[in-house]
Amino acid sequence: MAVVWARLAFLAGIISLFHAGYSAAQHRAYMRITEQEYTSLPTDIGVQGLMSLLLTMYGILHIAGDFKEIRANVQLQNKSWETVGNRPTFYTFAHRGRALSPNYIPPKSKSLLDNIENISS
Amino acid sequence: MSGRVRTRVDRGTGEVVAYSDAAVRNNFAVIEYCRTSMAALSGATAGMLGLTGLYGFLFFLLAGLVLWLMLLLKAGSKWQQYFVSRQSLLTSGLFSGLFTYILCWTFLYGMVHVY
Repeated sequence: MAVVWARLAFLAGIISLFHAGYSAAQHRAYMRITEQEYTSLPTDIGVQGLMSLLLTMYGILHIAGDFKEIRANVQLQNKSWETVGNRPTFYTFAHRGRALSPNYIPPKSKSLLDNIENISS
Repeated sequence: MSGRVRTRVDRGTGEVVAYSDAAVRNNFAVIEYCRTSMAALSGATAGMLGLTGLYGFLFFLLAGLVLWLMLLLKAGSKWQQYFVSRQSLLTSGLFSGLFTYILCWTFLYGMVHVY
């Protein structure tokens, strides 16, 4: 939303600057036609030029983008050890904690398997 | 956090401060953008106002000062988050925009006051 206002300010400033320049050229031509001596621009044209310059710069300053934090450790400061020390390659899912689940079916023990083998042979 | 990290020893407290290279370059690019635009626009204004000689260069310095103030206004009170120093913000690359300024100055002066 702020960028929209900045763009509008930029556009208005450019148009106003162009208008001030056109007014100055007109004034200069008028002075030449009426054969008066040119000394300086009228004050209102000068003030309009300076004001539109400020307005345009305000627009550009916001269009140009935001500054970024340059201190490298600020983003790391509010992170816990669990976030920083996270190593996904060392995740273990088949650990012994599954034996605590009520749906856990223990695997057949080796002696049971040996018994089955003995009976069949 | 991407890119390299540069360190610099703080003169006051003596502790090492690490700066993110990518963020520093981003801020520099924003400042460069503003500076080029300011040079072109203030050159156009100077030509439109019909400044000649040293007054034009004084106007250029004044425009640089105004741009510095506007940048500080944009950065706000926490400018130390974004820049290493405020003085270098004013002086660095001040004269790189001078040729852009003179180009727009002479062009607009010719358009408005000569032809």
